[in-house]
This record gives sequence, structure tokens and C-alpha cells, in this order.
Amino acid sequence: MAHIPTANGTAMTGATSLVKSLEAADVEVMFGLPGGAILPAYDPIFDSSIRHILVRHEQGAGHAATGYAQVTGRAGVCIATSGPGATNLVTPLMDAAMDSVPLIAITGQVPSAAIGTDAFQEADIRGITMPFTKHNYLVTNPDEIPGVIAEAFHIATTGRPGPVLVDIAKDALQKMTTFNWPTSIKLAGYNPKTTPDAQAITDAAALIAQSSKPVFYVGGGVIKANAHKELRQLVELLVAPVVTTLMARGAFPDSHPLHMGMPGMHGTVAAVTALQKADLLITLGARFDDRVTGKLSTFAPNAKILHADIDPAEIGKNRHADVAVVGDVRETISALIPALKAALAKNQPDLSTWMRQMNSLKSTYPLGYDQPDDGSLSPQHVIQRLGQISGTDTIFTAGVGQHQMWASQFISYEHPRTWLNSGGAGTMGYGVPAAMGAKVGAPDATVWAIDGDGCFQMTNQELVTCALNNIPIKVAIINNESLGMVRQWQTLFYEGRYSNTNLESKRVPNFPMLAESMGCVGLSCERPEDLDKTIEKAMSINDQPVVVDFRVHRDAMVWPMVAAGTSNDEIMIARATAPDWDSQEL
Amino acid sequence: MTTSRRQHTLEVLVENEPGVLARVAGLFSRRAFNIETLNVGPTADSSISKMVIGVAVEGHSLEQVIAQLDKLVSVISIKDVTGKGKEVHDTQPDYQN
Ligand SMILES: Cc1ncc(C[n+]2csc(CCOP(=O)(O)OP(=O)(O)O)c2C)c(N)n1
Ligand SMILES: [Mg+2]
Repeated sequence: MAHIPTANGTAMTGATSLVKSLEAADVEVMFGLPGGAILPAYDPIFDSSIRHILVRHEQGAGHAATGYAQVTGRAGVCIATSGPGATNLVTPLMDAAMDSVPLIAITGQVPSAAIGTDAFQEADIRGITMPFTKHNYLVTNPDEIPGVIAEAFHIATTGRPGPVLVDIAKDALQKMTTFNWPTSIKLAGYNPKTTPDAQAITDAAALIAQSSKPVFYVGGGVIKANAHKELRQLVELLVAPVVTTLMARGAFPDSHPLHMGMPGMHGTVAAVTALQKADLLITLGARFDDRVTGKLSTFAPNAKILHADIDPAEIGKNRHADVAVVGDVRETISALIPALKAALAKNQPDLSTWMRQMNSLKSTYPLGYDQPDDGSLSPQHVIQRLGQISGTDTIFTAGVGQHQMWASQFISYEHPRTWLNSGGAGTMGYGVPAAMGAKVGAPDATVWAIDGDGCFQMTNQELVTCALNNIPIKVAIINNESLGMVRQWQTLFYEGRYSNTNLESKRVPNFPMLAESMGCVGLSCERPEDLDKTIEKAMSINDQPVVVDFRVHRDAMVWPMVAAGTSNDEIMIARATAPDWDSQEL
Repeated sequence: MTTSRRQHTLEVLVENEPGVLARVAGLFSRRAFNIETLNVGPTADSSISKMVIGVAVEGHSLEQVIAQLDKLVSVISIKDVTGKGKEVHDTQPDYQN
């Protein structure tokens, strides 16, 4: 918005106006695939300074734009044609809504006169995406294009970030208009509150200073708000345990002694128990998701709730907040630090017993796994070595399933924006295209997609895009020849009746050959003794995408586990094995 | 189960644009909030419409309805204009629990 584009006041087509608008919004890259209704826009795209990456499936465009957004903090842009092109964006839009990603989707629509007639490739994409876009538009007047694009970026990137879809009728792209980039944006119904109330900050500080068992419950909002430095200051001021949710891995260094790990269904015993036994949850940019709380009525039963969030509708949605602070979490933490200092000066609670209890749990129940008896590869070990060899500046993405949970558990995240996954939606197929977008956003970083053999078969076609566009990502397929997470549930809850979870992917497809056919290097690893040298080989290839087929033991399970719908108090550290609570002083 | 829930009347000003009714109705349906009555009409400003929505919810749920409505970009303002002491008795099953 800062600069007035030179094209202002010039006559041009709606299509050119769209591209000029995207340029004015400082878009550097977009991911898309053309078709009839959006075709007028592709003509000026040909001449634009914006890099357009031609994907092989629109879902890939959507997740790539998300990966780009998650790594850079900027809006990601994807573009598709009407009907099936637009509906292929539905999953990434829903995914972005669940994980609060600033995603802009531009779609072509049939000509305005044909809307409502079941015209060729007509789909009411605005209607379809209403439930999971922050806002969406149907544009039929070319004069409105710059204003709508400016609004779309404003809405997507401010307040709680989220996806915005702009559907543009073909004739609006074809007609002549005068380009006019707005100098300001006024939306009567949209005014996100970023600065927290002073009184709420004072109340929050007082609540913290009164607590004797506080826990920092840190969510993805802390990463979105770039508040990790402030968070660390606040934590070190109070010296209390921290847990980071699946969306917040990297918001606080895993190596920090106050970090208890990830809470939730596959969280650590220390993190889950910290929440259960706390007398105060200092909730920062988190939303009491059911995968974190377990059975809600038994979640953190003795805790008061301090809830800081940018979205007022999250306050009290799942859990009553004793003190609510609405605002940008970075501003909130920055204001809380001096307020807490003042409150602690009056009343310094003694947290030493609490810290001793938590440290005891942390050291008694570290994350662990058994090596398979038959000498085969353990998936957890593969993932752990990937993290160790590749280092903490690496960006990891994941699919959804066991490999995702192990990647969240066995890699040490030290920096924000180095762990990208589909948290709220659990979208299989997120991993490869998100890695592509991440690598475009951070070309100097090593980007590993840790993918499942099932997930990989949903979106691997984007490796072609990567190979042809010099986007050398690395993919680790954790090949357990199964829809492993579903198989784990069948093992635990369906008497081992493995209905439709056997993928046979150690037979078909041949992943290295598939990779080679898409212009990538294909590697394979089956024996523990080959593990490190295979990873090192993959690390040494930087001019081409690399795919490694890690053929792992199929029966490994993700632990700890809080079974869906049960209480966090029923956490299991292995099959039918609860922590030895009696030996813990809690 | 018979529950007693107070009917609240919300006066909601919205942008007068195509699809705005679908946005509001869709929100109520996907969040499992019950609309009891709904009236849409014009205001003095032709760019703004007024919706009068009757909902049978209380306290915390009412706050959620209002907060979620307020998130819609097309919603400009929400006012609780509930008449005094109008208790409604709901003999329908309580689907919200
Ligand atoms: C699009 C989609 N379909 C189905 C599911 C349900 N689901 C969750 S995990 C999973 C198994 C994934 O298999 P794989 O990629 O091999 O990962 P693994 O669990 O074996 O590591 C399935 C089917 C989902 N999350 N997303
Ligand atoms: Mg698998």
C-alpha cells in the first residue's frame, strides 16, 4: 500500500489491472495453472515481474502458497481457473483457514451473463468456500479489481491471518477499465484489535504473580506474530514450564531447559501433565483444540485460564477464560513483561516445587522408541537422524500420519518457521507442495519434506514442478507400506483388523524410479547401517530434487498417546502402559 | 429434554451485497447455532441492510454467536435489542449439547 503504482489512472483490461494490482501488493511469486475462465489473466502474467510457477495440480498450488506464506510470513498467492480448477483449491483453503495462513486464491469465473446457468465449468466457488475463507469476493465489474485485491491482502494478512478468495468473471477480465490502486482501505465491518487493553495486561500480570503452578501454553499464533523473542524473555522472567503445540513447534527452542515438549494426543508426559496439574495456563495464541485438550471436561481441571489471542471469538469458545487479552500476541507479551516485573516485585511466587515436579517428569519420561528386533529400519530413528544430520536451520514439512507425529517429536526445533505441517485440517498431501513453496520462499535453506508413503501418493506430481523450476527440495518417504496412523488405530481399537490400510508400497510403486521419472534423484535405504550415508548423499545433492525411500518397519507406533475422546489423565506411554504416577510427587 | 432458554434478538447491520444472507445463515448452520426468526430489510443507507435475528441461547453461547457473527467482514455492527423478560420455553431436543 505504501507506494502508488505508476500505472495508476491508465486504461487497460481487467486482466492487466489484476496483474498490476498483484504487483502493487508486492507479490513476488504465485503458483497456478490456467484454463478458459482465467485465461485472459495469463496473458499479462506472461509479461509480469511476478514469478508464476506452473503446478501440476491446483491443490499443489494452494499448499505451495501456504508453505511460502508459513516460511516468509507474507501472503501466499495461488491462481486457478473456474469449476474444477477452483474446486481443486478447496482443500488448501480449508487447510489455511484451520491453521490461520494468509493465503490469497484468485479464480476465474464464467462470464457474468452465464453465472447461474450451469455453464461449462461453472462452480459457485464463493458459495463453496464461505465456511473456510476469512472473506471472499465475486467480481463482475473490472473497475472493482484493484480495490478488491487490496482488500483481500489486507484481510488475509492482518488480525488473525486467513485465506481470502477472489473469484473474477471472465468478462470482467476482458473488459477495459481504468487502473486505480486505492490509497487507503476502509472496511466498516473489519477492524482487528491489535493493541491489548492496559487493564487486561494488569489483570494478567496479577493472575500470573498469584499462581504457584503456571504453564505457558504456546500456540501457532506466537509464530504468526513473530513473538518468539518476546516469549523467551517472558518465560525467563517467570521461570516456568513451557509447552508448544503442534503448530507452535519452534516458537520456543526445544533445547531450552524450561521446554516440556508438545502437549496433546501425542504429546510428552511432561507437557500433558503440566497442563493437567497447572493452576494457571498462560495461553498465548492457542485455541484449546480437541487434539490438545483431550476430553474437554477433564482438561486442566484446576487451572485458571489466561487467554491471549488476536481473535475475540476464540476467547471462551472451548474453555472459559478468567482473564482474556485480545490483541496481537507480540504486543501483548511486550506489554506483559514490564507489568509482570512490577507484579513480581510485589509478590514473587515460589515455583521451585512445581519446577522440580516438572523436571522430574521430563527426565523420567523422555520420548523414546524401540529398535525393531529384526534389524530393520526404525522410522523414528530415520527421522531423528534426518534432524541431527541436517541441522537446526533446516525447514521441515510433513504429511499427515505417524511420520508427521514422529517428525514433531524427534526433531529438535530451535527456530520459528522451520516446522510446517497441516495441524488443524490434517491434510494428507500437504508435505511435498508445502516444501516446494517453502523452498521458493527460502531458497537458501535446506528443505526436507518428511512424507508418508500414503501422503506422497496424493501430491507427488509437484516434484515435476520442482524439477523443472529449479526448486531442489528433499523428500524422505517414511515407507511403512501402510496408512500407518489408521493402522495404529486398528491395532489399538479394532482388534488388529487391518481393513484397507495395507498400501503394499514396498512393491508398488517403485518410489526411486517414480522420482527419477519426474526429474529427481531417487534413493533408497533399508538397513540401519546405510542410514547416515544415504542422508549424507541426499544432503550433497543441491541442483535437483531428491527423494529417498526409507523402507521402515511397519509396526512402529506413535507414543505417548491420549486416545481420542478420553482424558489427558489417561495418557499411555506404550500399549496398555500408563506412567507410574505413584512414583511421582504431584 | 426440556430446556428453558431465553430468546435474544440481535439487530445486525450488514453490507448490502449479494451473498450476505448466505454468509449469515451459513454461519449459524455450521456453528450449530439455532436461528428462531430472521428478518431482512433496508436501512436509510442503501449500502447497508438490517437483519433482525432471534436466537435462543444464553450467556456464553450468546457471546459466541455475537463474536462469530462479528468475524464476518460483511457484518458492520451487532446490537442485542432483546425485549425485557421474554422467556421462551423450548421443548425441542437440545442439539447443542
Ligand atoms: C486427505 C486425507 N484423507 C484421509 C486422512 C486420514 N488419515 C490420517 S493419517 C492417514 C494415514 C497416512 O498414511 P501415510 O501417509 O503412509 O502416513 P503414516 O501414518 O503411515 O506415517 C490417513 C489415511 C487424512 N488425514 N487426510
Ligand atoms: Mg505410511
